[in-house]
Amino acid sequence: MSIFMQALLVSIFVTIAFIDSHTLQTHIFRPVVVGPVVGLIMGDVQTGFTVGVTVELMFLAVIFVGTAVPPDPTISTAIATAVAILGGGGTELAVATALPVSFIGQIASTVQNSVINVYFMHRMDKAVERMDRKAMVRNNTVYPMLMNIILYGIPTFLAVYFGADFVAKIIASIPAKIITGLAIGGGMIGAVGFALLLTTIKSKKMWPFFIMGFFFASYLHVNMIGIALMAVAFCAIYYYFGIQKQVK
Amino acid sequence: MNKKLTKKDLRRVFRNQLTIRTCNNYERQQNAGFTQAMMPVVEKLYDNDEEKKAAYERHMEYFLTNDITSAIPVGISAAIEEECANNEDFDGSIVTDIKTALMGPLAGLGDSLLNGTARPILASLAISFITSGLGWIGPLFFVIGMSLVSLGIRYLGVFKGYDQGIKLLDTIQNSGIIDNITELASLAAFMIVGGFIPALVQITTPIKIGSGESVLDLQATFDDLMPGILGLAYTLLMYYFIKKKKISPTILILVTMAFGIAGVYLGFLG
Repeated sequence: MSIFMQALLVSIFVTIAFIDSHTLQTHIFRPVVVGPVVGLIMGDVQTGFTVGVTVELMFLAVIFVGTAVPPDPTISTAIATAVAILGGGGTELAVATALPVSFIGQIASTVQNSVINVYFMHRMDKAVERMDRKAMVRNNTVYPMLMNIILYGIPTFLAVYFGADFVAKIIASIPAKIITGLAIGGGMIGAVGFALLLTTIKSKKMWPFFIMGFFFASYLHVNMIGIALMAVAFCAIYYYFGIQKQVK
Repeated sequence: MNKKLTKKDLRRVFRNQLTIRTCNNYERQQNAGFTQAMMPVVEKLYDNDEEKKAAYERHMEYFLTNDITSAIPVGISAAIEEECANNEDFDGSIVTDIKTALMGPLAGLGDSLLNGTARPILASLAISFITSGLGWIGPLFFVIGMSLVSLGIRYLGVFKGYDQGIKLLDTIQNSGIIDNITELASLAAFMIVGGFIPALVQITTPIKIGSGESVLDLQATFDDLMPGILGLAYTLLMYYFIKKKKISPTILILVTMAFGIAGVYLGFLG
């Protein structure tokens, strides 16, 4: 497949992923899906899986709540996977690419919410004013979704078509210590997301469960699946001994 | 003659509810999406354009909650609009009060249940599938799981919300059901955060103190004491910065990256 076709297919997938994140939310926009799909398009599924898993782990804990726009995981995984495959770099290269791009994606989403969609919402106000139902649907759904092509699709195409070599060269010129430092920082940003999630939960009495979860993973080496299953079991216990008694 | 919404109408509401955040904007948030979700209801129930316009205008007011749990107020609003269309004495503006009352609890519920619990659990399972060599099973499992959560809650929200109507608001406010679910979701979120820290917040130090036979490997000491202690300490430090110092998470992420680079140059991380 030519690089033109590859860049085109990646940008179409990214656009669809953004539309998904704004509508159905089947979550094809997460790194764990974007990495392998872009890998398939670029002809190296294995690297796609590796980058997808690495970036997903990096963003797994980046949980932003309410109206806060998080660093964007979708466009950053797509470009990082393409760069890792075209530039022949490993996961460290992918992480070094994914992080800066995720901040660019975050800015694009903020512009979308604060400027573009405000404009379409005012047009919808006017459509309601003249009871033009078709215009209402167009301004709420069709135009904002088409904007995803401009905000995310076209930049992805340009980055993959012109940029992969370029990005790989830039990153090759960065001292190895900085790349390693970015990878180490990337392994730590989960702390920020976790901390943010904890601050949004008001209840103080849940801290013992935090400590228990940590001890199970730390001393007993229970893996993430085990922790998730334990959380389900503890919810059941809490319900039977705590909540159900109160209800009666 | 009484007008009644059919199952078919509600399925249409469900499909339109999917656009709740397409025009998400910082001025009035999900208002346009909510209005589109109500279009099948308003078009069916009201006879003249004047009544329809009044209904649309009240739904164009500010609305913000979690994208997925917003299906519940959509369903309830459908029931209220039905009452309003059939009963001349009924004041339709009450729908705004009810929507506003639901925004806070449902946002908290949706965030902790979906972003704090369902997504991290399913994503970590998918990652485990991939790293154990199952390939595409991982992403497929993740997408199917998240689709069931996202579309399932929306579908149930619209239909249950309509069935129960205003009664549901009463149930939600007085039976403490939302509080109970939120409490369970918080428990799961706390346990998952605590348990995922050793795997997801990775900090190691190459510092060695002393020389020759008596060298003290700091990381080995930490691992003997409590594996993952540095990740735990860093997470709690971030918690302190966000909670007490009100520093924005985006800034903390940038600082963390800079800290990583500084750590490599100065030789205390790696």
